[in-house]
Amino acid sequence: MISGIHTINILLPIFYFVTLAVYFYDFLKGEKRFINIKRVFLFITLFLHLIYIVLRTIAFDHPPITNVFEIFTILAITISFSYFLVELVSDIRGTGPFIIILSLIFQIISSLYIQDLTEVKEVLRSNLLGIHVISALLGYSGFTISAVYGFLYLILYKDIKLNKFGLIFNRLPNLEVLERLSLYSAVIGFITLTIAIIIGIIWLPIAFPHFSYMDPKLIGTTLVWLLYAIGITSKIFGKWRGKKLVILSISGFTVAIISTILSNFLAQSFHSFY
Amino acid sequence: MNLIAISINHRTAPVELREAVYLKEDEIQPFINLAKENQLKEGLVLSTCNRTEIFCIPTNADLSHEKIQDLLLKFKTAQNITEENFQKYFSKDAVKHLFGVATGIDSLLIGDNQVFKQVKDSFQMAEENNFAGYIMHRIFDAAIRTGKRAISETSISEGAVTVSYAAVQLTEKIFSNLSKKMALVIGAGETGEIAAKHLSERGIGSLAVTNRTQEKAEKLAQKLNAKVIPFSEFKDSIYKFDIIISATAAPEILLRKDDVKNALKKRNNNPMILMDIAVPRDIDPATKEIDYVFYHDLDSLNIIVEQNLAKRKSEIPKVEKIIEEELDNFWEWYNSLQAAPAIKDLRDMFEGIRNEEIEKNKNKFANEDQDKLDIVTKRIINKILHHPTIELRKAGESTDSTDSATKIGIIRDLFGIGTHKKSEKE
Repeated sequence: MISGIHTINILLPIFYFVTLAVYFYDFLKGEKRFINIKRVFLFITLFLHLIYIVLRTIAFDHPPITNVFEIFTILAITISFSYFLVELVSDIRGTGPFIIILSLIFQIISSLYIQDLTEVKEVLRSNLLGIHVISALLGYSGFTISAVYGFLYLILYKDIKLNKFGLIFNRLPNLEVLERLSLYSAVIGFITLTIAIIIGIIWLPIAFPHFSYMDPKLIGTTLVWLLYAIGITSKIFGKWRGKKLVILSISGFTVAIISTILSNFLAQSFHSFY
Repeated sequence: MNLIAISINHRTAPVELREAVYLKEDEIQPFINLAKENQLKEGLVLSTCNRTEIFCIPTNADLSHEKIQDLLLKFKTAQNITEENFQKYFSKDAVKHLFGVATGIDSLLIGDNQVFKQVKDSFQMAEENNFAGYIMHRIFDAAIRTGKRAISETSISEGAVTVSYAAVQLTEKIFSNLSKKMALVIGAGETGEIAAKHLSERGIGSLAVTNRTQEKAEKLAQKLNAKVIPFSEFKDSIYKFDIIISATAAPEILLRKDDVKNALKKRNNNPMILMDIAVPRDIDPATKEIDYVFYHDLDSLNIIVEQNLAKRKSEIPKVEKIIEEELDNFWEWYNSLQAAPAIKDLRDMFEGIRNEEIEKNKNKFANEDQDKLDIVTKRIINKILHHPTIELRKAGESTDSTDSATKIGIIRDLFGIGTHKKSEKE
């Protein structure tokens, strides 16, 4: 089983790369015959990824959520899976390459550095931790997708304003749809991150009696949560829209990334497990 | 094939000459009647603002292109039109030309799918006037199939190629659902009307028209089921509209940057699209600097038009390939309408059925009877096929190739021979 896991670990970045190439080719050519072909590629890749996660969980006796490289592989699948659902439900074409590329990056990093851990700290074997991490990951996937759609909104907005009617103009969905996708992803991300935070608050004092509220990860996450809370509230009350909203979404995503890097690699945090 | 075609179009004649021979809908029937009286037994008459085309099969094999030209010119009493203003096609070239017309590659606006509909309509007209026979039906089916394939298999008809349509396409790149949007058209001239029609066709939520001459605005509004806003008041109500298309002949700027800024404020920064398709411009170009205002003038819309035209042009080789394929299929079918191969196919088919039945049932007969069975069944088949064979031979010897092809074609259809060919299968 271990050798199978190792093989899939090498295959996954290749599969994501091929899927990305098909999506990118479709983006360039825009031919009708690629609509189903590319979905099949994405489906096969996601299916292989799911098998990989199940195999890892069985072989190493824990779901791959105990360190940053295990988490990256989960992020890769959740991002692509969320996109897969968006594509199926909305039938929106043209945004796939910009999202699948993120899955590819996360998976490459994960495949390079992931280790066969059978021993994990006792504190990480809690069920609450599982729900905490999964909901946090769903939250971050939502923010990632929201930021990508926000970014695409800005590019298309600029192109239309400047009379640039190239590939971006021809292939991307319209501005309202991009804004809506960015908002919906952010809302889903916000809800799931809120769940992660609530579970964290319950679980934290039990697992780590000596933790500090000044922990960089806690500060970063609070900041991210506040940013999205402000953005979503402003949207609901009709104050902010369009460009302002997507800029906020991109800022939230940037803060989330910086906070993750700081807490996992640079600063001393109880969130640094690896 | 004795198919003759003449065409006067945007390539061969200026608009005034094309207008002179244009056949209005109510003129086509009398023209067909005249054609029938003049030895044209089946055909097709297609007349649009850019082309008038006559395809026909004459009863007399010696009938020339010139005779059909004269017929048209006499009917329309058109003058100043010479031989050079007509393109002439015969037989296979005429079929190929019709396929080209149906796919839109021969149109002034390449890929114009309006012409596909017009070809369909003209066939219907021919049919209603008993001007479409067996061969013309086949040509029609093949032309329609070619047109449909060009639309579905290539991008020949994709993208806006007129400024007013480009304006609508651009709005669809900003708003997702036009049924929830309000649009205002300033100016009730031809350009304004076309733009308003496009918006209406795309299901705009509500449409309003304003014009310096109120009467004109009311007339257009009635046509499009739109509201009318008095010209003197329209500036105060622009904040209500998501899309504003301006196409007046006004020499001065009608909407200034401040007007738009104020409107946007009232709209709580809800995006506004301003399409200025007037010359000289009606809207201050500086409005493009305002956030959430998408200002586009003729120049920017022309960029879209040029890009789409270039893209359509690049699709022409693909369409030509489809035309060649369909032409080959059609010709293969047409060639099967020769007497000798038709007789052979008919006999082979009956012989095949006879052999199959004998093989299935021979065990029901005694060994000594099997030879007799063979002889008797052969005799039955020969007797059944005697008369059709004579008729087919006669058709083959006929001087009227269309008549003979029709007869052979009907026999082939009746007995289902040669249905393996693509042109027949579909």
